Amino acid sequence: MDFRYTEGQIAFKKRLNAFLDKEMTEEIARQNWEDLGVREQAREFSIKLAVNGFLGMSWPKAYGGQGLDHTYDFILLDELGKRWGAHVPLDVGYTMVGPTILRRGSEALKKEFIPQIIAGEIEFCLGYTEPDAGSDLAALRMEAVEDENHYIVNGQKTFNTECHYSEYHWLAARTDLDPAAPKHRSISLFVVDMDSPGVTVRPMMTMSGELTNEVFYDNVRVPKDRMVGEKNKGFYYVMEAIGSERNQVFIPARLLPLLDEMVNYVKETEYRGKPLSEDPLIRAQLAQIAIELEVAKVLADHSRWLESNDLPMTYEPEVTKIFVSETEQRLANMAMQVLGLYGQLMEGSRRVPIRGRIAWEYLHSFMTTLGGGTSEVGRSVIAQRGLGLPRSY
Amino acid sequence: MDFILTREQKSMQQAAREFLKAECTSEFVRQMEADDTGCTPEFWRKMVQLDWMALTIPEEYEGVGGSLIDLVLMLEEMGRACAPGPFFSTVVPGITAIVECGSDSQKRDLLPKIADGQLVMTLALAEVATTRWDPHLIGVDAAAAPDGYSINGTKLFVADAHVADTIICVARTSGASADPAGITLFLVDAKTPGIEIRPLQTIGGDKQFEICFKDVKVRQEDILGQLHEGGGHLNRILQIAAVCKCAEMVGGAEKVLEMSSAYAKERRQFGKPIGSFQAVQHHCANMLIDLEGSRYITYKSAWMLDNHLTCDKEVAIAKAWVSEAYKRIAALGHQVQGGAAFMAEHDMTLYSRRAAAAAVTFGDAGYYREVVAGSIGL
Repeated sequence: MDFRYTEGQIAFKKRLNAFLDKEMTEEIARQNWEDLGVREQAREFSIKLAVNGFLGMSWPKAYGGQGLDHTYDFILLDELGKRWGAHVPLDVGYTMVGPTILRRGSEALKKEFIPQIIAGEIEFCLGYTEPDAGSDLAALRMEAVEDENHYIVNGQKTFNTECHYSEYHWLAARTDLDPAAPKHRSISLFVVDMDSPGVTVRPMMTMSGELTNEVFYDNVRVPKDRMVGEKNKGFYYVMEAIGSERNQVFIPARLLPLLDEMVNYVKETEYRGKPLSEDPLIRAQLAQIAIELEVAKVLADHSRWLESNDLPMTYEPEVTKIFVSETEQRLANMAMQVLGLYGQLMEGSRRVPIRGRIAWEYLHSFMTTLGGGTSEVGRSVIAQRGLGLPRSY
Repeated sequence: MDFILTREQKSMQQAAREFLKAECTSEFVRQMEADDTGCTPEFWRKMVQLDWMALTIPEEYEGVGGSLIDLVLMLEEMGRACAPGPFFSTVVPGITAIVECGSDSQKRDLLPKIADGQLVMTLALAEVATTRWDPHLIGVDAAAAPDGYSINGTKLFVADAHVADTIICVARTSGASADPAGITLFLVDAKTPGIEIRPLQTIGGDKQFEICFKDVKVRQEDILGQLHEGGGHLNRILQIAAVCKCAEMVGGAEKVLEMSSAYAKERRQFGKPIGSFQAVQHHCANMLIDLEGSRYITYKSAWMLDNHLTCDKEVAIAKAWVSEAYKRIAALGHQVQGGAAFMAEHDMTLYSRRAAAAAVTFGDAGYYREVVAGSIGL
């Protein structure tokens, strides 16, 4: 048992922090995160990350990576998280699409896309969820019908975040339309150019001001060589990637700046002539969140360690996901309670505390136990895969 | 970063589990709860033969030289089995206090005897005034006397005092009663005249006592560590004790989850195993989430203590978290296993009672939250 980083990892972290001190701003961090959405500054930052050698540490050398272990990637995510943005700007390509292409894609797909992803140049948006396929993803209806060298795709996606600035759609569509076909074994994955004729993106605005999208496909022609891996195996490719995605998306370090802001706030804010930080109840509330963040960290460290050593992950990343997302909600809720009347003030308002970050985080936090799979599905996965209880659905 | 247990650690864990499965059945645990002594000489001797008492004693003092992680793994197994007897009080505060602050001659004298199972120890810390956990609130007085000191006052919640040969008494040698300075640790022979012990009836079914010290004479050479410096010595002893208590709780929690998920698979209602109902599944999932967090925060703080890294915050987090997590796990264990597990003879009750006791032993969650508050700059 050893909770240390290696010397190489420590040196990487040091070099990274020197870079981030110089290049990372709160504006970029907020673009990194869904908060503002990736714009010019985050795109530039993405290229700089790549040029300075911080992307692709764990990716194979043959496609432009460094061939090191995953811990380096996690260090990058943690250090970005401590500065408000816990993923790289173009993170769907980097954490979800790239690894699946490496695992399942054709040589041509690898050669085309992996170097561009490691160079921080392209982004993908996930095309999974549909109006009638959320937790039950295999119920999706979007159809892809063969037509010589193409598939012709029709249907609708929803909650496809990042589509308004991505180059590619990472699309799951039904390729076996026989009604008797098992629904899990009739879905394929495709890489679709977002500017393909027939693709329409319509913005949907969330209550935290983050943009997501509906996407409509009207006879969109997708070349056959843009299918990822084998036909009708797409659902399994999505599922096998989930553990690693959880590890890379649910980053406890992202919550540290929020706690730090609250610590400063209660030290600097007075009530009846005394700082709030002297109130035992407030001390206990902040301490409880600090405790939960450390527990979140050891849970994340454990599932990351499994991944970095190619050990089987069954329920562990699900535990991390649920714990991190629910800690995020408890943190936001605690912070709103402590801020009292001032907590309702939004960014830009007169007298807003902590630049409005708490109110924003509070609204944002509702999504964390839904996106990427609800906590309810997650708990059933833990019970069934972690404890061997019978299937419930 | 790695979470790997060595081959030796795995085989020790396996051996401990098998031994306890055979020798420490729940019937035995229940008998020992009802028994005034609370342990049998045979059970104690068998643990001695397995070198359990010697585990963390350095090799130069006839011990095995194991690490704190080794001890944590062992205590997990003992927590699973609700192992009775003075193992914890002897091996955790006892050995730790001697190893951390004993003189060479004290180590030479005491450690080999502990390793051999001949010496049972305990720590007398809390007092009548300890209405909230506060290890520096010491009023029991050790006044200078010819050739040493004379101890007067009452200690409470002293584990296994009835079988202890040596009591580590935390006493005040100078300063006011809440002053962290002016505290001294004394090795007190339990047979010294003036010591009177009276049993307490506890929720965990363990053996705890009130000890009255009346003009109890100790010699200069019975001071453990430095005169007046006991408050500082206690910090590390109590940190190790808190993490070891966490380890016991982790073991107990794991057993509770195993019992609960086995029951959920087997018990049928409405024609199906109740484990196929999502409400029950989610209780079980919540138990597993709490268990995993408890285990890894315990390992991390034990590893940090072992490596002498600054870890006041991590230890506080571990004890605060595990104390409450184990109680939640026990409560859900009852919920999943229904009315049957509410019966006194059901094994579940061994764990829910111990969870309540362990939560307040060596510092409760409220106390450690305040430590954490300090460590994040409040």
